[in-house]
Amino acid sequence: MSARWRYIIQESAKGLRRNPLMTVAVILSITVSLTLLGATLLLRDQIDLATDDWVEQVEVSIFLCDGTTCPPITDEQQETLRRDLEDQPVVEEVIYESKEEAYERFSELFKDQPNMLEIVEPDILPASFRVSLVDPDEFLIIRDQFEAYPGVEDIVDQREILTQFLNFTRIVRNGALAIAVIQLAAAALLIGNTILMSAFARREQTAIMKLVGASNWYIRLPFLMEAVITGLLGALVSWGLLYGVVPRVTEGLSQEVLLMPFIGVTEVIAAGPPLLLAGFGIAAISSIVALWFFQDS
Amino acid sequence: MIKLKNVTKTYKRGADDEVVALKDVSLEVGKGEFVFVVGPSGSGKSTFMKLLTREQLPDAGEIYVAGKDLTSLRSWKIPALRREIGYVFQDFKLLPNKSVSENVAFALEVIGKGRREIQRRVPEVLELVGLEDKTGAMPHELSGGQQQRVSIARAFVNNPRILLCDEPTGNLDPSTSVGIMKLLDRINRTGATVVMATHDQHIVDSMRRRVIELENGVVVRDQSRGVYGYAG
Ligand SMILES: Nc1ncnc2c1ncn2[C@@H]1O[C@H](COP(=O)(O)OP(=O)(O)OP(=O)(O)O)[C@@H](O)[C@H]1O
Ligand SMILES: [Mg+2]
Repeated sequence: MSARWRYIIQESAKGLRRNPLMTVAVILSITVSLTLLGATLLLRDQIDLATDDWVEQVEVSIFLCDGTTCPPITDEQQETLRRDLEDQPVVEEVIYESKEEAYERFSELFKDQPNMLEIVEPDILPASFRVSLVDPDEFLIIRDQFEAYPGVEDIVDQREILTQFLNFTRIVRNGALAIAVIQLAAAALLIGNTILMSAFARREQTAIMKLVGASNWYIRLPFLMEAVITGLLGALVSWGLLYGVVPRVTEGLSQEVLLMPFIGVTEVIAAGPPLLLAGFGIAAISSIVALWFFQDS
Repeated sequence: MIKLKNVTKTYKRGADDEVVALKDVSLEVGKGEFVFVVGPSGSGKSTFMKLLTREQLPDAGEIYVAGKDLTSLRSWKIPALRREIGYVFQDFKLLPNKSVSENVAFALEVIGKGRREIQRRVPEVLELVGLEDKTGAMPHELSGGQQQRVSIARAFVNNPRILLCDEPTGNLDPSTSVGIMKLLDRINRTGATVVMATHDQHIVDSMRRRVIELENGVVVRDQSRGVYGYAG
């Protein structure tokens, strides 16, 4: 068994060395396509993070005064506000979020960004009423009615901010996905072509192997290995690129866009296995198809 | 050992151009026999050999080799069939970047034989073909006859029950050919069935073995101690 494996490894190494420039071209092409694919995976993570269930349910935040910019809201004022909100027909649900709950949610949302946690003191976040509407477009009614209530600091249409951001991210993500698919197809063709060339260069040896009764998998495995090695190398390089670039970008963004959670190193690391799987899969499938064609001809 | 029943093989060339390479061929070759297959160029000799190794499938008829029904043989079982058959080509088909013993060992390595068996069997078979002092030579350093001996050694190293030789002396001069024939005769005496396609009249006449003659894909003669032609 060990002699067999040594043969298979030797032969795949031969295949990779026969045309080093071609090997590099294949690896680069896989790298480009998988980097794009990885970027779309990470953008999806980013979207998920920003649309975490809680955020999506709540459409309007009514922040309550805590004495920083306006006199703190009294219990009485708060009770009136809640009752009037609940009586308002466009309001579906009202949830009170205390300062502690606000900080808890904030810490959870930004657990990957310690610098955010540092600059935000636990009692800096205001308490709020989080209001969901029967029809999300009725925001203006809420603002006009409750803006002037005593103890109300600010009324924010969370949905508006979120939708703008999400629309932008989705467009970027779909664009990246489309390019990634085209690049992947190109990489697959390049792998298939390389394997065909490799098989053609060794056709005499393959013919002899067939005639002395070598099994099909034994004949094909070196070619498959050759492709899979390039696929995995390409995936590793793209993973490395994302690891080097993405956390820096999101860190920079989090300085600019406050109060929005961003993905970090954790998500990039988690993107590795799917990328390796994709590199492996694309290489294996395209080389199997190529060898299948080669055998038919 | 080998049995053909009403075997027909046509090759398609283009849309509606067909060549009938073998037509309704029925014959049997017993265990340990030595058989010549003769006939003019294009008469179907190589096609006959390729059907036996399952390189080609017949259009009609039944083929049995070493107890296997080739027309219904699943493709994953073809390697097992070929391990029972040794194949010798007219043009040797040695791997140019491997030495004599590496070429022979290759046939055992790729079917997963252990190193110990390879180390025992390769020198044995190289001695049988008379190349024990050429084990380290490269193919281009050998004469045609020596190269053919290597290819016979490779075909026989796995102790196949059947040895198929498609014009093994086609590229060799008469005296070298005689040496190759002696070698094939010796292999036949170890119990292997030998089927040899040839154009070489002298060899066929001198061996006095069974002769199957093909003409345009039809068996026109099957003679047990035959010569090359009727006139011969
Ligand atoms: N792969 C193929 N495709 C199409 N036609 C073929 C193929 N192989 C053989 N033929 C045709 O089948 C017929 C028989 O060929 P075959 O090679 O069996 O003859 P042969 O007796 O071996 O000839 P030779 O003595 O020249 O080697 C010929 O007409 C040949 O042109
Ligand atoms: Mg022929």
